[in-house]
Amino acid sequence: MNMIQMCKIAKIYPNGAPALHDIDLKIPAGEFVYITGSSGAGKSTLLRLLYCADRPTRGQILMGKRNITRLNARNVAFLRRQIGFVFQDFKLLLNRTVLENVALPLHVQGVSTEETRTRAFELLQYVGLEYKMQRKPLELSGGEQQRVAIARAMIVRPKLLLADEPTGNLDSSLALEIMGMFSRINKEGTTVLVATHDQELTHQTPHRVIALENGHVVSDSRPEANTESIEPQEAH
Amino acid sequence: MKRLRYFIRRTIMSMIQSPLLNGATIGTITVALMLLAFFTLIVLNVQNITRQWSRDIQITVYLEQVPSTTKLEQWQQEIENHPMVENVTYVTQDQAFERFRTRLGQNDDLLDGLLPEILPASFELSLAQEARSEHGAETLVQDLKKNPAFSNFRYGQDWLKRYDAFMFLLKLTGTLAGGFLIFATLFVISNTIKLTIYARRDELEIMSLIGATPMFIKIPFLAEGALQGITGALLALGGCHALYYFFLKKGLSALLTTTAASNISFLPLSVQLGVILLGLLLGVTGSMLPLRKFVRI
Repeated sequence: MNMIQMCKIAKIYPNGAPALHDIDLKIPAGEFVYITGSSGAGKSTLLRLLYCADRPTRGQILMGKRNITRLNARNVAFLRRQIGFVFQDFKLLLNRTVLENVALPLHVQGVSTEETRTRAFELLQYVGLEYKMQRKPLELSGGEQQRVAIARAMIVRPKLLLADEPTGNLDSSLALEIMGMFSRINKEGTTVLVATHDQELTHQTPHRVIALENGHVVSDSRPEANTESIEPQEAH
Repeated sequence: MKRLRYFIRRTIMSMIQSPLLNGATIGTITVALMLLAFFTLIVLNVQNITRQWSRDIQITVYLEQVPSTTKLEQWQQEIENHPMVENVTYVTQDQAFERFRTRLGQNDDLLDGLLPEILPASFELSLAQEARSEHGAETLVQDLKKNPAFSNFRYGQDWLKRYDAFMFLLKLTGTLAGGFLIFATLFVISNTIKLTIYARRDELEIMSLIGATPMFIKIPFLAEGALQGITGALLALGGCHALYYFFLKKGLSALLTTTAASNISFLPLSVQLGVILLGLLLGVTGSMLPLRKFVRI
Protein backbone atom coordinates (compact mmCIF):
# COMPACT_ATOMS: atom_id res chain seq x y z
CA MET A 1 0.00 0.00 0.00
CA ASN A 2 1.22 3.49 -0.83
CA MET A 3 1.74 5.90 2.04
CA ILE A 4 2.01 8.85 -0.34
CA GLN A 5 0.81 9.21 -3.88
CA MET A 6 1.25 12.42 -5.84
CA CYS A 7 -0.51 12.87 -9.17
CA LYS A 8 0.54 15.64 -11.54
CA ILE A 9 1.43 17.98 -8.70
CA ALA A 10 2.39 21.53 -9.61
CA LYS A 11 3.03 24.41 -7.27
CA ILE A 12 3.27 28.00 -8.37
CA TYR A 13 3.67 30.60 -5.60
CA PRO A 14 1.43 33.70 -5.57
CA ASN A 15 4.32 35.83 -6.85
CA GLY A 16 4.35 33.65 -9.97
CA ALA A 17 7.47 31.68 -9.08
CA PRO A 18 7.04 28.04 -10.11
CA ALA A 19 8.35 25.58 -7.50
CA LEU A 20 7.16 22.17 -8.68
CA HIS A 21 6.09 20.83 -12.07
CA ASP A 22 4.03 17.73 -12.80
CA ILE A 23 5.32 15.60 -9.97
CA ASP A 24 4.16 11.97 -10.00
CA LEU A 25 5.36 9.95 -7.03
CA LYS A 26 4.47 6.82 -5.15
CA ILE A 27 6.03 6.13 -1.79
CA PRO A 28 5.02 2.80 -0.26
CA ALA A 29 4.34 2.55 3.46
CA GLY A 30 7.46 1.73 5.48
CA GLU A 31 9.91 3.09 2.92
CA PHE A 32 12.88 5.39 3.62
CA VAL A 33 13.25 8.03 0.94
CA TYR A 34 15.68 10.88 0.41
CA ILE A 35 14.48 13.93 -1.51
CA THR A 36 17.63 15.54 -2.81
CA GLY A 37 18.50 18.54 -4.89
CA SER A 38 20.29 21.83 -4.68
CA SER A 39 18.88 24.86 -2.94
CA GLY A 40 15.67 25.98 -4.67
CA ALA A 41 15.08 22.61 -6.33
CA GLY A 42 11.70 22.25 -4.63
CA LYS A 43 12.50 19.82 -1.76
CA SER A 44 11.00 21.92 1.02
CA THR A 45 7.99 22.83 -1.12
CA LEU A 46 7.33 19.15 -1.68
CA LEU A 47 7.42 18.49 2.06
CA ARG A 48 5.25 21.57 2.77
CA LEU A 49 2.61 20.13 0.45
CA LEU A 50 2.72 16.86 2.38
CA TYR A 51 2.03 18.50 5.70
CA CYS A 52 -0.46 20.91 4.12
CA ALA A 53 1.46 24.10 4.91
CA ASP A 54 0.85 24.89 1.23
CA ARG A 55 -1.71 23.70 -1.26
CA PRO A 56 -0.74 22.48 -4.70
CA THR A 57 -1.73 24.69 -7.61
CA ARG A 58 -2.64 21.58 -9.59
CA GLY A 59 -2.83 17.86 -8.95
CA GLN A 60 -3.85 15.58 -6.12
CA ILE A 61 -2.04 14.14 -3.11
CA LEU A 62 -3.22 10.97 -1.42
CA MET A 63 -1.94 10.01 2.01
CA GLY A 64 -3.01 6.46 2.56
CA LYS A 65 -6.46 6.51 0.98
CA ARG A 66 -7.14 10.09 1.96
CA ASN A 67 -6.98 13.02 -0.44
CA ILE A 68 -5.20 15.76 1.49
CA THR A 69 -5.22 18.38 -1.25
CA ARG A 70 -8.09 20.50 0.07
CA LEU A 71 -8.38 19.90 3.79
CA ASN A 72 -9.77 22.58 6.09
CA ALA A 73 -7.69 23.94 8.99
CA ARG A 74 -9.16 21.57 11.55
CA ASN A 75 -8.59 18.48 9.42
CA VAL A 76 -5.06 19.64 8.64
CA ALA A 77 -4.44 19.69 12.40
CA PHE A 78 -5.77 16.14 12.75
CA LEU A 79 -3.68 14.97 9.79
CA ARG A 80 -0.53 16.42 11.36
CA ARG A 81 -1.11 14.40 14.51
CA GLN A 82 -0.17 11.35 12.45
CA ILE A 83 3.02 12.91 11.08
CA GLY A 84 6.33 13.52 12.84
CA PHE A 85 8.39 16.57 11.88
CA VAL A 86 12.10 17.24 12.14
CA PHE A 87 13.58 20.50 10.84
CA GLN A 88 17.03 21.94 10.36
CA ASP A 89 16.35 24.63 12.98
CA PHE A 90 14.83 22.05 15.42
CA LYS A 91 11.72 24.19 16.06
CA LEU A 92 11.73 23.67 19.81
CA LEU A 93 10.00 25.96 22.27
CA LEU A 94 12.90 27.65 23.98
CA ASN A 95 11.01 28.65 27.12
CA ARG A 96 9.97 25.08 27.93
CA THR A 97 11.97 22.16 29.21
CA VAL A 98 13.11 19.25 27.08
CA LEU A 99 10.43 17.04 28.66
CA GLU A 100 7.70 19.61 27.99
CA ASN A 101 8.83 19.96 24.38
CA VAL A 102 8.69 16.21 23.81
CA ALA A 103 5.32 15.93 25.57
CA LEU A 104 3.74 18.82 23.64
CA PRO A 105 2.09 16.80 20.81
CA LEU A 106 0.31 14.56 23.32
CA HIS A 107 -0.80 17.57 25.38
CA VAL A 108 -2.34 18.98 22.24
CA GLN A 109 -4.20 15.72 21.68
CA GLY A 110 -5.59 15.81 25.21
CA VAL A 111 -3.76 12.66 26.42
CA SER A 112 -3.59 12.42 30.23
CA THR A 113 -0.64 14.09 31.94
CA GLU A 114 0.55 10.83 33.46
CA GLU A 115 0.55 8.95 30.17
CA THR A 116 2.15 11.91 28.43
CA ARG A 117 5.00 12.11 30.95
CA THR A 118 5.63 8.35 30.84
CA ARG A 119 5.71 8.30 27.05
CA ALA A 120 7.88 11.45 26.86
CA PHE A 121 10.35 9.88 29.29
CA GLU A 122 10.46 6.67 27.22
CA LEU A 123 11.17 8.68 24.07
CA LEU A 124 13.90 10.65 25.83
CA GLN A 125 15.45 7.33 26.85
CA TYR A 126 15.13 6.23 23.21
CA VAL A 127 17.22 9.20 22.06
CA GLY A 128 19.48 9.01 25.13
CA LEU A 129 18.55 12.33 26.72
CA GLU A 130 16.47 11.32 29.72
CA TYR A 131 19.07 12.77 32.08
CA LYS A 132 18.61 16.23 30.50
CA MET A 133 14.84 16.31 30.58
CA GLN A 134 14.61 19.35 32.85
CA ARG A 135 17.01 21.43 30.75
CA LYS A 136 15.90 24.17 28.36
CA PRO A 137 16.73 23.60 24.65
CA LEU A 138 19.39 26.32 24.54
CA GLU A 139 21.35 24.49 27.25
CA LEU A 140 21.80 21.57 24.83
CA SER A 141 24.14 21.10 21.87
CA GLY A 142 22.79 21.16 18.30
CA GLY A 143 22.86 17.36 18.07
CA GLU A 144 21.03 17.02 21.36
CA GLN A 145 18.39 19.54 20.28
CA GLN A 146 17.82 17.55 17.11
CA ARG A 147 17.45 14.36 19.19
CA VAL A 148 14.82 16.16 21.29
CA ALA A 149 13.04 17.12 18.07
CA ILE A 150 13.14 13.47 16.97
CA ALA A 151 11.75 12.33 20.31
CA ARG A 152 8.95 14.89 19.95
CA ALA A 153 8.25 13.66 16.42
CA MET A 154 8.10 10.03 17.59
CA ILE A 155 5.88 10.54 20.61
CA VAL A 156 2.72 10.37 18.49
CA ARG A 157 3.86 7.04 16.95
CA PRO A 158 3.66 8.62 13.48
CA LYS A 159 2.99 6.71 10.31
CA LEU A 160 5.13 9.21 8.47
CA LEU A 161 8.23 11.13 9.52
CA LEU A 162 9.13 14.22 7.50
CA ALA A 163 12.59 15.70 7.95
CA ASP A 164 13.68 18.89 6.18
CA GLU A 165 17.50 19.20 6.14
CA PRO A 166 17.66 17.57 9.59
CA THR A 167 21.46 17.50 9.59
CA GLY A 168 21.99 20.92 8.06
CA ASN A 169 23.19 22.42 11.34
CA LEU A 170 25.22 19.42 12.51
CA ASP A 171 28.74 18.16 11.85
CA SER A 172 29.22 14.94 9.88
CA SER A 173 29.50 12.56 12.83
CA LEU A 174 26.36 13.96 14.45
CA ALA A 175 24.65 13.85 11.07
CA LEU A 176 25.43 10.13 10.81
CA GLU A 177 24.14 9.57 14.31
CA ILE A 178 20.86 11.30 13.45
CA MET A 179 20.54 9.34 10.20
CA GLY A 180 21.13 6.15 12.16
CA MET A 181 18.26 7.13 14.38
CA PHE A 182 16.02 7.70 11.36
CA SER A 183 16.97 4.26 9.99
CA ARG A 184 16.04 2.70 13.33
CA ILE A 185 12.69 4.51 13.30
CA ASN A 186 12.12 3.33 9.73
CA LYS A 187 12.87 -0.29 10.66
CA GLU A 188 10.15 -0.03 13.30
CA GLY A 189 7.66 0.61 10.51
CA THR A 190 7.50 4.39 10.06
CA THR A 191 7.74 5.80 6.55
CA VAL A 192 10.60 8.33 6.53
CA LEU A 193 11.10 11.18 4.06
CA VAL A 194 14.29 13.16 4.42
CA ALA A 195 14.90 16.26 2.31
CA THR A 196 18.62 16.98 2.05
CA HIS A 197 21.12 18.61 -0.25
CA ASP A 198 23.93 16.51 1.29
CA GLN A 199 24.80 13.86 -1.35
CA GLU A 200 27.38 12.27 0.94
CA LEU A 201 24.69 11.45 3.45
CA THR A 202 22.70 9.50 0.88
CA HIS A 203 25.78 7.40 0.16
CA GLN A 204 26.65 6.80 3.81
CA THR A 205 23.12 5.69 4.72
CA PRO A 206 21.79 4.43 1.40
CA HIS A 207 18.07 4.39 0.69
CA ARG A 208 15.79 5.35 -2.19
CA VAL A 209 16.75 8.77 -3.59
CA ILE A 210 14.38 11.07 -5.46
CA ALA A 211 16.36 13.92 -6.99
CA LEU A 212 14.72 17.22 -7.82
CA GLU A 213 15.99 19.95 -10.10
CA ASN A 214 14.12 23.17 -10.81
CA GLY A 215 10.93 21.59 -9.56
CA HIS A 216 11.22 18.45 -11.71
CA VAL A 217 11.98 14.89 -10.64
CA VAL A 218 15.20 14.13 -12.52
CA SER A 219 15.95 10.74 -11.03
CA ASP A 220 14.42 8.18 -8.71
CA SER A 221 16.83 5.45 -7.62
CA ARG A 222 17.07 2.65 -5.08
CA PRO A 223 20.42 1.43 -3.79
CA GLU A 224 19.94 -2.17 -4.89
CA ALA A 225 18.36 -1.51 -8.28
CA ASN A 226 19.85 1.60 -9.87
CA THR A 227 17.71 4.17 -11.58
CA GLU A 228 14.05 3.24 -11.62
CA SER A 229 12.18 3.69 -14.84
CA ILE A 230 10.89 7.20 -14.78
CA GLU A 231 9.89 9.11 -17.83
CA PRO A 232 12.56 11.72 -18.51
CA GLN A 233 10.90 15.09 -18.22
CA GLU A 234 11.34 17.80 -20.74
CA ALA A 235 13.81 20.46 -19.86
CA HIS A 236 12.04 23.70 -18.97
CA MET B 1 -12.31 20.29 32.14
CA LYS B 2 -8.81 18.94 31.45
CA ARG B 3 -8.57 21.31 28.49
CA LEU B 4 -9.71 24.23 30.65
CA ARG B 5 -7.05 23.43 33.23
CA TYR B 6 -4.46 23.25 30.44
CA PHE B 7 -5.53 26.66 29.05
CA ILE B 8 -5.45 28.34 32.47
CA ARG B 9 -2.07 26.80 33.33
CA ARG B 10 -0.69 27.65 29.88
CA THR B 11 -1.89 31.26 30.10
CA ILE B 12 -0.35 31.83 33.52
CA MET B 13 2.87 30.00 32.64
CA SER B 14 3.24 31.93 29.42
CA MET B 15 2.86 35.23 31.30
CA ILE B 16 5.47 34.14 33.82
CA GLN B 17 7.84 32.75 31.19
CA SER B 18 7.88 35.94 29.13
CA PRO B 19 8.02 38.64 31.82
CA LEU B 20 9.54 41.25 29.53
CA LEU B 21 6.98 40.96 26.73
CA ASN B 22 4.20 40.63 29.24
CA GLY B 23 5.41 43.63 31.24
CA ALA B 24 5.74 45.75 28.09
CA THR B 25 2.20 44.93 27.01
CA ILE B 26 0.66 45.56 30.43
CA GLY B 27 2.75 48.75 30.79
CA THR B 28 1.55 50.08 27.44
CA ILE B 29 -2.07 49.28 28.23
CA THR B 30 -1.69 50.91 31.65
CA VAL B 31 -0.19 54.15 30.35
CA ALA B 32 -2.60 54.44 27.42
CA LEU B 33 -5.70 53.72 29.50
CA MET B 34 -4.47 55.95 32.34
CA LEU B 35 -4.24 58.91 29.96
CA LEU B 36 -7.70 58.15 28.63
CA ALA B 37 -9.16 57.70 32.12
CA PHE B 38 -7.54 60.89 33.40
CA PHE B 39 -8.80 62.83 30.40
CA THR B 40 -12.32 61.46 31.04
CA LEU B 41 -11.97 62.46 34.70
CA ILE B 42 -11.15 66.04 33.75
CA VAL B 43 -13.92 66.26 31.15
CA LEU B 44 -16.52 64.88 33.57
CA ASN B 45 -15.46 67.31 36.29
CA VAL B 46 -15.46 70.30 33.96
CA GLN B 47 -18.93 69.25 32.81
CA ASN B 48 -19.98 69.03 36.43
CA ILE B 49 -18.67 72.51 37.20
CA THR B 50 -20.30 74.07 34.13
CA ARG B 51 -23.56 72.35 35.06
CA GLN B 52 -23.35 74.11 38.41
CA TRP B 53 -22.68 77.42 36.67
CA SER B 54 -25.66 76.92 34.40
CA ARG B 55 -27.95 76.70 37.41
CA ASP B 56 -27.31 80.45 37.83
CA ILE B 57 -28.88 81.25 34.48
CA GLN B 58 -32.05 83.07 35.39
CA ILE B 59 -34.68 85.13 33.61
CA THR B 60 -36.32 87.98 35.46
CA VAL B 61 -39.74 89.00 34.13
CA TYR B 62 -40.78 92.48 35.31
CA LEU B 63 -44.48 93.19 35.61
CA GLU B 64 -46.13 96.42 34.47
CA GLN B 65 -48.49 96.37 37.41
CA VAL B 66 -48.89 94.36 40.54
CA PRO B 67 -51.35 91.61 39.58
CA SER B 68 -54.35 90.50 41.53
CA THR B 69 -53.98 87.31 43.53
CA THR B 70 -56.01 85.35 40.96
CA LYS B 71 -53.97 86.67 38.06
CA LEU B 72 -50.74 86.07 39.93
CA GLU B 73 -51.62 82.44 40.60
CA GLN B 74 -52.73 81.94 37.01
CA TRP B 75 -49.52 83.39 35.54
CA GLN B 76 -47.33 81.57 37.98
CA GLN B 77 -49.08 78.32 37.03
CA GLU B 78 -48.66 79.09 33.31
CA ILE B 79 -44.97 79.80 33.71
CA GLU B 80 -44.40 76.75 35.89
CA ASN B 81 -46.08 74.53 33.30
CA HIS B 82 -43.71 75.71 30.57
CA PRO B 83 -41.35 72.81 29.75
CA MET B 84 -38.30 75.09 29.65
CA VAL B 85 -38.84 76.35 33.19
CA GLU B 86 -37.48 74.51 36.18
CA ASN B 87 -38.67 76.83 38.90
CA VAL B 88 -40.48 80.18 39.26
CA THR B 89 -40.50 82.61 42.19
CA TYR B 90 -42.62 85.71 42.55
CA VAL B 91 -40.74 88.72 43.97
CA THR B 92 -42.99 91.37 45.44
CA GLN B 93 -42.15 95.08 45.33
CA ASP B 94 -41.35 94.97 49.05
CA GLN B 95 -38.97 92.07 48.62
CA ALA B 96 -37.27 93.80 45.68
CA PHE B 97 -36.92 96.99 47.70
CA GLU B 98 -35.43 95.07 50.63
CA ARG B 99 -32.93 93.32 48.36
CA PHE B 100 -31.93 96.65 46.86
CA ARG B 101 -31.38 98.07 50.30
CA THR B 102 -29.19 95.11 51.24
CA ARG B 103 -27.13 95.51 48.09
CA LEU B 104 -26.52 99.17 48.73
CA GLY B 105 -24.98 98.20 52.04
CA GLN B 106 -23.61 101.29 53.80
CA ASN B 107 -25.23 103.56 51.20
CA ASP B 108 -28.75 102.34 51.98
CA ASP B 109 -29.63 105.79 53.24
CA LEU B 110 -30.01 106.69 49.56
CA LEU B 111 -33.38 104.95 49.73
CA ASP B 112 -34.61 107.01 52.62
CA GLY B 113 -37.88 108.67 51.75
CA LEU B 114 -38.56 106.30 48.85
CA LEU B 115 -41.36 103.75 48.74
CA PRO B 116 -41.12 100.11 47.55
CA GLU B 117 -43.56 100.99 44.74
CA ILE B 118 -40.68 102.56 42.77
CA LEU B 119 -39.53 99.01 41.93
CA PRO B 120 -41.60 96.60 39.82
CA ALA B 121 -42.77 93.19 41.02
CA SER B 122 -41.21 90.35 39.09
CA PHE B 123 -41.05 86.64 38.40
CA GLU B 124 -37.64 84.97 38.70
CA LEU B 125 -37.34 81.90 36.48
CA SER B 126 -34.67 79.28 36.64
CA LEU B 127 -34.27 77.28 33.45
CA ALA B 128 -34.61 73.57 32.84
CA GLN B 129 -31.29 71.82 32.03
CA GLU B 130 -31.92 71.65 28.26
CA ALA B 131 -32.89 75.35 28.04
CA ARG B 132 -29.73 76.66 29.68
CA SER B 133 -28.31 78.46 26.64
CA GLU B 134 -28.76 81.78 24.87
CA HIS B 135 -31.08 80.20 22.36
CA GLY B 136 -33.11 78.52 25.12
CA ALA B 137 -33.46 81.71 27.10
CA GLU B 138 -34.50 83.68 24.00
CA THR B 139 -37.09 81.09 22.99
CA LEU B 140 -38.59 81.19 26.46
CA VAL B 141 -38.64 85.00 26.46
CA GLN B 142 -40.43 85.00 23.09
CA ASP B 143 -43.09 82.72 24.57
CA LEU B 144 -43.45 84.91 27.67
CA LYS B 145 -43.75 88.07 25.59
CA LYS B 146 -47.16 86.84 24.41
CA ASN B 147 -48.44 88.08 27.77
CA PRO B 148 -48.66 91.92 27.49
CA ALA B 149 -48.39 92.29 31.30
CA PHE B 150 -44.80 91.07 31.12
CA SER B 151 -43.09 94.29 30.19
CA ASN B 152 -39.40 93.75 30.54
CA PHE B 153 -36.99 90.83 30.63
CA ARG B 154 -33.48 90.44 31.95
CA TYR B 155 -31.44 87.31 31.43
CA GLY B 156 -27.77 88.28 31.23
CA GLN B 157 -27.47 88.06 27.44
CA ASP B 158 -23.74 88.83 27.39
CA TRP B 159 -22.97 86.23 30.03
CA LEU B 160 -25.03 83.64 28.15
CA LYS B 161 -23.16 84.39 24.93
CA ARG B 162 -19.84 83.77 26.69
CA TYR B 163 -21.22 80.65 28.38
CA ASP B 164 -22.40 79.26 25.03
CA ALA B 165 -19.03 79.98 23.41
CA PHE B 166 -17.22 78.32 26.31
CA MET B 167 -19.46 75.27 26.18
CA PHE B 168 -18.94 74.98 22.40
CA LEU B 169 -15.18 75.18 22.83
CA LEU B 170 -15.28 72.65 25.64
CA LYS B 171 -17.32 70.17 23.60
CA LEU B 172 -15.11 70.66 20.54
CA THR B 173 -11.90 70.21 22.52
CA GLY B 174 -13.34 67.24 24.38
CA THR B 175 -14.50 65.51 21.19
CA LEU B 176 -11.29 66.17 19.27
CA ALA B 177 -8.89 65.36 22.10
CA GLY B 178 -11.00 62.43 23.27
CA GLY B 179 -11.30 61.03 19.74
CA PHE B 180 -7.59 61.41 19.16
CA LEU B 181 -6.80 59.84 22.52
CA ILE B 182 -9.09 56.86 21.90
CA PHE B 183 -7.57 56.36 18.45
CA ALA B 184 -4.02 56.64 19.84
CA THR B 185 -4.88 54.20 22.66
CA LEU B 186 -6.29 51.64 20.23
CA PHE B 187 -3.34 52.09 17.88
CA VAL B 188 -0.64 51.79 20.54
CA ILE B 189 -2.22 48.86 22.36
CA SER B 190 -3.07 46.83 19.26
CA ASN B 191 0.43 47.37 17.85
CA THR B 192 2.13 46.40 21.11
CA ILE B 193 0.10 43.20 21.29
CA LYS B 194 0.80 42.56 17.62
CA LEU B 195 4.54 42.88 18.26
CA THR B 196 4.42 40.55 21.26
CA ILE B 197 2.56 37.96 19.21
CA TYR B 198 4.98 38.48 16.34
CA ALA B 199 7.83 37.78 18.77
CA ARG B 200 6.16 34.47 19.57
CA ARG B 201 5.27 33.47 16.02
CA ASP B 202 7.66 30.48 16.25
CA GLU B 203 5.53 29.11 19.06
CA LEU B 204 2.42 29.53 16.91
CA GLU B 205 4.12 27.73 14.02
CA ILE B 206 5.35 24.86 16.20
CA MET B 207 1.94 24.42 17.80
CA SER B 208 0.29 24.20 14.40
CA LEU B 209 2.93 21.73 13.15
CA ILE B 210 2.33 19.30 15.98
CA GLY B 211 -1.38 19.19 15.22
CA ALA B 212 -2.93 21.81 17.48
CA THR B 213 -6.24 23.07 16.09
CA PRO B 214 -6.47 26.82 15.44
CA MET B 215 -8.72 27.32 18.48
CA PHE B 216 -6.36 25.35 20.72
CA ILE B 217 -3.52 27.65 19.66
CA LYS B 218 -5.51 30.84 19.93
CA ILE B 219 -7.33 30.38 23.26
CA PRO B 220 -4.27 30.79 25.57
CA PHE B 221 -3.18 33.87 23.59
CA LEU B 222 -6.66 35.40 23.78
CA ALA B 223 -6.88 34.62 27.50
CA GLU B 224 -3.46 36.18 27.96
CA GLY B 225 -4.61 39.28 26.05
CA ALA B 226 -7.72 39.48 28.24
CA LEU B 227 -5.67 39.16 31.44
CA GLN B 228 -3.18 41.75 30.25
CA GLY B 229 -6.04 44.08 29.32
CA ILE B 230 -7.77 43.73 32.69
CA THR B 231 -4.49 44.05 34.64
CA GLY B 232 -3.52 47.11 32.58
CA ALA B 233 -6.95 48.68 33.14
CA LEU B 234 -6.82 48.08 36.91
CA LEU B 235 -3.33 49.58 37.11
CA ALA B 236 -4.50 52.49 34.94
CA LEU B 237 -7.38 53.17 37.35
CA GLY B 238 -4.95 52.99 40.28
CA GLY B 239 -2.58 55.41 38.54
CA CYS B 240 -5.44 57.69 37.60
CA HIS B 241 -6.64 57.70 41.21
CA ALA B 242 -3.13 58.58 42.38
CA LEU B 243 -3.01 61.48 39.89
CA TYR B 244 -6.47 62.59 40.98
CA TYR B 245 -5.60 62.42 44.66
CA PHE B 246 -2.17 64.07 44.61
CA PHE B 247 -2.58 66.45 41.69
CA LEU B 248 -6.22 67.47 41.65
CA LYS B 249 -7.41 66.92 45.21
CA LYS B 250 -4.32 67.77 47.27
CA GLY B 251 -2.44 69.99 44.81
CA LEU B 252 -5.38 72.14 43.72
CA SER B 253 -6.77 72.59 47.23
CA ALA B 254 -3.38 73.85 48.33
CA LEU B 255 -3.24 76.17 45.34
CA LEU B 256 -6.81 77.46 45.34
CA THR B 257 -8.50 79.01 48.32
CA THR B 258 -11.95 78.38 46.88
CA THR B 259 -13.99 75.28 47.47
CA ALA B 260 -13.74 74.37 43.77
CA ALA B 261 -11.20 71.63 44.48
CA SER B 262 -13.47 69.93 46.99
CA ASN B 263 -16.15 69.55 44.29
CA ILE B 264 -13.79 67.52 42.08
CA SER B 265 -14.74 63.88 42.20
CA PHE B 266 -13.16 60.64 40.93
CA LEU B 267 -14.57 58.65 38.01
CA PRO B 268 -18.02 57.21 38.74
CA LEU B 269 -18.23 53.41 39.14
CA SER B 270 -19.84 52.98 35.70
CA VAL B 271 -16.88 54.71 34.02
CA GLN B 272 -14.41 52.65 36.06
CA LEU B 273 -16.16 49.47 34.92
CA GLY B 274 -16.10 50.88 31.38
CA VAL B 275 -12.31 51.31 31.57
CA ILE B 276 -11.91 47.70 32.74
CA LEU B 277 -14.21 46.49 29.97
CA LEU B 278 -12.27 48.55 27.44
CA GLY B 279 -9.01 46.99 28.67
CA LEU B 280 -10.52 43.52 28.33
CA LEU B 281 -11.85 44.21 24.83
CA LEU B 282 -8.58 45.79 23.68
CA GLY B 283 -6.61 42.85 25.05
CA VAL B 284 -8.80 40.26 23.33
CA THR B 285 -9.31 42.01 19.98
CA GLY B 286 -5.70 43.21 19.94
CA SER B 287 -4.63 39.57 20.19
CA MET B 288 -7.29 38.23 17.84
CA LEU B 289 -6.30 40.33 14.83
CA PRO B 290 -2.61 39.34 14.61
CA LEU B 291 -3.49 35.73 15.53
CA ARG B 292 -5.72 35.57 12.48
CA LYS B 293 -2.71 36.47 10.43
CA PHE B 294 -0.15 34.23 12.09
CA VAL B 295 -2.22 31.13 12.82
CA ARG B 296 -2.58 30.00 9.25
CA ILE B 297 -2.44 26.33 8.77
